[in-house]
Amino acid sequence: MSDKPKVKVATVWLGGCSGCHMSFLDLDERLVELVKLVDITASPITDVKEIPNVDMGIVEGAVCNEEQEHVLRTLRARCKVLVALGDCAITGNIPALRNQFKLEDVVARGFVETESTQVGDIPGPPPVPKLLNKVRPIQEFVKVDAHIPGCPPDADTIWYVLTELLAGRMPKWTEKNLSYD
Amino acid sequence: MIAPKKITLTIDGRRCEGQEGQTILQIAQASGISIPTLCYLKHLSPWGGCRMCIVEIVGSPKVVPACSTPAVDGKQVVTNSESLQKLRRSTLELLFSERNHICPFCVMNKGDCELQQQGYRHGIDAISIPYLYPAWPVDVSGKYLALDHNRCILCTRCVRTCEEMEGTHTLDISHRGAKNRVVVDLGATFGTSDTCTNCGACVAACPTGALFDKAAAFRGKLNTCQTVRTTCTECPVGCGLLVYTKENRIVEVFGDFDSPVSQGHLCVRGRYETWAEPRQRILQPLLRRHEKLEPATWNEALEAVRQAAKKAKPAQKAVLVSPRLNNETIATLKKFERIGMFVARDEAALCAEGDRSPDSMAKLHDADAIIVLGAQPSRAQGVVAAKIRTTVRLRKAKLLIFHTRKSDLDQYATICANVVSLERKFWGRVAEELKDAKRPVLVYGPEAMTPIGVAVLERLIKIFEGKASGPAPALIALPTGSNSLTLAAGGIEPVEEVGPWLDAKPLKFLHIIASDEPDGGARLLDEKYVRPLLEEIDCVVVQAAYQSRLTDLAKVVLPATIWCEKQGTITNFEGRELPLQAVLPPRGEARQDLEILNAVLK
Repeated sequence: MSDKPKVKVATVWLGGCSGCHMSFLDLDERLVELVKLVDITASPITDVKEIPNVDMGIVEGAVCNEEQEHVLRTLRARCKVLVALGDCAITGNIPALRNQFKLEDVVARGFVETESTQVGDIPGPPPVPKLLNKVRPIQEFVKVDAHIPGCPPDADTIWYVLTELLAGRMPKWTEKNLSYD
Repeated sequence: MIAPKKITLTIDGRRCEGQEGQTILQIAQASGISIPTLCYLKHLSPWGGCRMCIVEIVGSPKVVPACSTPAVDGKQVVTNSESLQKLRRSTLELLFSERNHICPFCVMNKGDCELQQQGYRHGIDAISIPYLYPAWPVDVSGKYLALDHNRCILCTRCVRTCEEMEGTHTLDISHRGAKNRVVVDLGATFGTSDTCTNCGACVAACPTGALFDKAAAFRGKLNTCQTVRTTCTECPVGCGLLVYTKENRIVEVFGDFDSPVSQGHLCVRGRYETWAEPRQRILQPLLRRHEKLEPATWNEALEAVRQAAKKAKPAQKAVLVSPRLNNETIATLKKFERIGMFVARDEAALCAEGDRSPDSMAKLHDADAIIVLGAQPSRAQGVVAAKIRTTVRLRKAKLLIFHTRKSDLDQYATICANVVSLERKFWGRVAEELKDAKRPVLVYGPEAMTPIGVAVLERLIKIFEGKASGPAPALIALPTGSNSLTLAAGGIEPVEEVGPWLDAKPLKFLHIIASDEPDGGARLLDEKYVRPLLEEIDCVVVQAAYQSRLTDLAKVVLPATIWCEKQGTITNFEGRELPLQAVLPPRGEARQDLEILNAVLK
């Protein structure tokens, strides 16, 4: 066992489908190796919601509403290295498809005009967080130190990036590790 | 002819030889040096707009696009410096931010998209500028093609393809700056376009998922498919096909760029109609028992056929075949005493006297005057129509049309005349137009064999003979039946009017081989008296791939193979023998035409 203190990690998911976290879990037996090096604190997986000060923050999902922006900024303030996990966090991806339409039309289609709805009502804050006018990737709000592209990124790539970052190196992207089959 | 001067470039420190007039990219590629490209396609004129192929020339402060910069003897070129890589990455970042390039649900995801490929090759994990998120429409109105503007990179490969391969110039770019977009006609959609022929060449040219085949979408990643080269049998041109298959199904059909006939081009029939049209396929032999057609085994069906054939004397038996049967069937067909091939009106004379001109497609390409007499290539031989359009519009050949039906080619013609109403002083004009022709070509179809058509043909030949100088025109016969010229030359009588042919002597047994005719041979029934004549024959056997009104009235139906299952050869209108290579194993119990014939004769 190593003498080094474990690297503290926190993960959050914003406007995402949780697929990137599932892909992270696809590390399978490598998770046993990983937890020897890192301490996963707040995370949807550990179901701890209060984010402590950590070394590394991992974010899945795009920023779609004010609550997600708040969570993102909180994590950024409390971590040294921030990693964008998956295409939603990096490009906006599927959640950002709603940017092609006016927000009020999207909301009306989702809550009032749905086929099975009798009397639709648009939920607002509180408690449902206020939607931002446009869905945007996380780097348009905070500085991002590393990205893991993919939808979802495959487990081998997540392993590569995490181990490189833990070793103090930036990942090198090539055609080989960017193309998932 | 003076040979082009030899020149030398030093590319990345390597001596590369080329010729004056070549571009830097051509010389680099010939020497095996790879430079990234997006808007470049070797068979199209270069555009130089994507800025991926930029290279540095020692001594010059600028970077230049290699695809459209002529090579200068002695220059030193750098293709992959750090600064070039940074510039290319910037170009890609701008492309990714400009529109909605969302890979996860795209048809070209995971290996078929050239934009994605370039992104990966340049190590792009994220871009450094904000995304634009514009709202671009998706046009799915076309019968076979769709256009998703969100994925377009404005490379103009589709525009240049439509202009230089199909010749209709249906696609272009409209508006300016960030509002630039690919436009169909003057703002139509594929579904409402007046000029789009659905040839699909634009889809094949598109590097991203912007233009895609509706039938092929999500049937399989092309980079995981098997490919087979074969020949299209829908018309006598015989274009080369490159068929992609996966797990015994067709994924997509492309033109074969190595085909000496079509050079990668196809028309709507060969690219789409043969497999993307829903048709009722006959998968097992059928026997009429108690007034209804019921499934039977091959043994039962063949036995029924042989029994019926035995009951008829040789003169009471006949075989009537489709003009698309392959060459290998000829020897066996000749064993029948009464054998005929059903052809379109006026095509019998074309089969008897039609000229086959070697390299007709090349002759059309190089022609400076094209005369079309009594043929409708836009309807029946799409790739010939494309060749005529591009030769007339791009290489400035003169076009003279003599026909009875309107076609889209008329708009490009210097002289367009309805064959039936020609006046005398008209011929003076025709002679005037043809007087300077140095490479004239005369394409003639079945209508040229009518009395009026023959008269016009003779007049035209007389004009050429009467010229003071200049060669005689290359004469190219253009039938509608895919292999009718070959079958006729092999001794199979072309029959235009099936009724009189059937009625000549009473028949007890008729074997119709419709093969994979799309209509299953049903057009025979459109001719007057054929149906009652067929109903009088004791045994009508129909050998076909598709169910139709004709198969419905047969006593025995034998399932035939279709184009992608056939093996053998056909000879096209140029006289060129072309291979048919089976792409898939026969479906169900279908068998090859020749195999069935031999079994029947046993």
